[in-house]
Amino acid sequence: MARFLARRLAHAVPLLFIVSALVFLLIHLAPGGPLAIYLSNPNVRPEDIERLRHALGLDRPLWNQYWSWLAAFVQGDWGYSFSDGRPVASRILERVPATLELVSASLGCALALTMPIGVWSAVRRGRWFDRLATLASMIGLSLPAFWFGLLLQMIFALALGWLPSSGRATPGTNAFGDHLQHLLMPAAVLAAVLASSWSRYLRGAMIEVIGQPFVLAAEARGVPEARVILRHALANALGPLVAIVTVDAALLVSGAVVTESVFAWPGLGSLFTEALARRDYSVLMALLMLSSAAVILFNVAADALHAAIDPRVTT
Amino acid sequence: MNAIARWVFGLALAIGVAAAAPGCRRHAGASAPSNDLLIIGYDREPDTLNRFSTHILEDIQSCIVEGLTTTDEQMRVVPLLATDVPTLENGGVRLRGDGGMDVIWKLRPGVTWHDGTPFTSADIQFTVEAINSPNYNPESTDGFDRISSVDTPDPLTAIVHYKEIYAPYDIQFIRGMLPKHVLQGRDIDRAQDYNRNPLGTGPYRVAEWKAGEYILLERVPHYWRGDDYPKIRRLLFKFIPNTNTRINQLKSGEVHVVALLPWDKYREVADLESTVIRRTPGNAYEHVTLNERHFPPFADLRVRQALISALDREQYVRTILDGLAPVAHGPIQPISWAYSDRITKYPFDVAKARALLDDAGWRVGADGIRERGGTRLAFTLITQAGYAIRENMAQAIERQLRDVGVDVRVELQDGTAISTTWFEGRFDAMLHWWQMPSDPELTTFFAADRTPPAGRNINYFRDDALSRLLYESDRTVDRHARGALLARAQALITAAVPEIPLYTVTRLDALPAGLANFKGNPTNTGIFWNVHEWEIK
Repeated sequence: MARFLARRLAHAVPLLFIVSALVFLLIHLAPGGPLAIYLSNPNVRPEDIERLRHALGLDRPLWNQYWSWLAAFVQGDWGYSFSDGRPVASRILERVPATLELVSASLGCALALTMPIGVWSAVRRGRWFDRLATLASMIGLSLPAFWFGLLLQMIFALALGWLPSSGRATPGTNAFGDHLQHLLMPAAVLAAVLASSWSRYLRGAMIEVIGQPFVLAAEARGVPEARVILRHALANALGPLVAIVTVDAALLVSGAVVTESVFAWPGLGSLFTEALARRDYSVLMALLMLSSAAVILFNVAADALHAAIDPRVTT
Repeated sequence: MNAIARWVFGLALAIGVAAAAPGCRRHAGASAPSNDLLIIGYDREPDTLNRFSTHILEDIQSCIVEGLTTTDEQMRVVPLLATDVPTLENGGVRLRGDGGMDVIWKLRPGVTWHDGTPFTSADIQFTVEAINSPNYNPESTDGFDRISSVDTPDPLTAIVHYKEIYAPYDIQFIRGMLPKHVLQGRDIDRAQDYNRNPLGTGPYRVAEWKAGEYILLERVPHYWRGDDYPKIRRLLFKFIPNTNTRINQLKSGEVHVVALLPWDKYREVADLESTVIRRTPGNAYEHVTLNERHFPPFADLRVRQALISALDREQYVRTILDGLAPVAHGPIQPISWAYSDRITKYPFDVAKARALLDDAGWRVGADGIRERGGTRLAFTLITQAGYAIRENMAQAIERQLRDVGVDVRVELQDGTAISTTWFEGRFDAMLHWWQMPSDPELTTFFAADRTPPAGRNINYFRDDALSRLLYESDRTVDRHARGALLARAQALITAAVPEIPLYTVTRLDALPAGLANFKGNPTNTGIFWNVHEWEIK
């Protein structure tokens, strides 16, 4: 296992290099740049634009900009934000807690929904619960997150007044209950989308496993149904789900862009949206490298986990 | 199946009840606006609170940092930390024989920085030196780079020496002052203590800045206007980039003020009992830029006059804008002191538009679109995506120009992309607005030599007589004389129609019904310029 992990991680390094060059090229190819925002202010004259371009190093050749970014990045120097001049690392670090909070809450809720729904739909395949679950997950998958989020706000914040419409906490308070209330709707939106797809995977995997001879054999030997399903069948059906959960988690860690924006959630997703609108190259690069690294690492973790719970997968 | 039906019915009922519930209920996080706390829903987080470095609106900054002058609700320049606005008449401005000028600023006595240090003319001198220093990168050095030196004969007098005549000298120090005793000898670009929590002379200071969430301002104990000001103890600016969410927070009482309310949200908010919408006639004007370089048919005056005559701008204002803004006829809006009504106006006249195009040799082709010498009268109109009003306006223009045989293709671009597109001149026509400075300078928009990158003449319009007039107005400090030059310039511009003005942008702000002494502001100074007087009654 250790050798497997070492090998996979060693592969990740050149991959990240390639990704960094591609991403750097892409964000610089996107029309506009960090100075575009200045142009609409008539008081900012061409001399000012040239002065700022030089100060930000944007007048250097692209390869040169990439090289100096890379040289600093590998030494842990993520540079300064083009937008507010603060160190990129601290801009990102201050957003991490909010994102982790939202991600873990929504992953937890999604798993809590997925397990019973996926298993029960498979066991009672074609019956009313299965059909209801199918309908619900179709809805969950097709609802745009921003629309669903606004709908929840209208119901629970405006009409019923049960929950705050958005934000992470009521400013000035630091109560656990207040925090939880703010977390509920954004986590529900993400969890609904995730559970909709995950429960389909689990259902499919369970149906396949339930039809296999060893399950029939267990039933024939008189093992209670609950035990057959939970101990024997579920354990075997979890493998594919683990892979999908980890990949989705990796994508979420880099920020749930839409949900964070609708709920004014101060996580990495909001930071990404802002950095993209302002073409804040240094923040964008760092965020995109982080998410690439997360996807690669979580993939390795998924393989390792899969191997751990399913001995048929060898390393 | 029964169970499903019950479940679906129950859900529908819940949503129905929720939607039909009379009024909005209040969550515990919601509160009524009070003189203890006013909550402002703000569409973006500032980059920095340093007024000279920021490149977005300075609303929050203006509560903390004050300049020598500010602009009021009528866009008049009024003194703030200065006792008067210097003019030729009051002896505050002296023209020198060498072509330069001196501006004498008298400072208000008794003003201190928030840390108790007196505010003096040395701070003005330092501000000029810092902005002109190669070691600091402010957003703009406009005007500062024409200052040769600043003399400080006494702590309350600063004499600013300009190398040449600079007409907008009165708003030179509108953005604020940099405190010498805090910033001298420092790298201001990286002075995060100042940039995140600036030392000012204004009514508020930063109590807390929570990244991505909010900035909380608290009143300073001994504001120079007296201990009665400011009336409201704390201002909370919450960052809510999503417009729908911002409006929802307004409805739920989680925010009390939404500044710069988008027009398409006007009706949604107008009915709220707790909220009033204040309209401030603006200084910006929405218009269609006609890029003569990229689409040569625009160079023909008859074509430009035909285009403007073919558009029923009164109808656009009535329908698309809900009557919230008046039709604009030129680049200087009625709120400006330099506005002249001796200008050419173009009423909606389809017959005239057709006749002008016929006259210019553009004949209607088989597909209903005009052509001349194998060229079709067809162009692309770009505008910024995500603005319902602009998208509707672009469609109306497309429709009405088709009626006179002109083919318009509308193309939407994101905000950052469109800035680069126009700066590089890669477009035929563009629907957009300029937020004009409070000073009525037109040179950068219309002088022949001010096409990008040297300026913002993106019509690529060329009229040497107009250029001469504009440059002369920039070198004229006497307001009467400058006004006369600018009136002639407006007459020339409106006759030549280098662009199609559509409407004067009106600023909408949603405010608590009980807020007294709100005055509004049509310029980039923003609505918080008189926040010290605001009071909940």
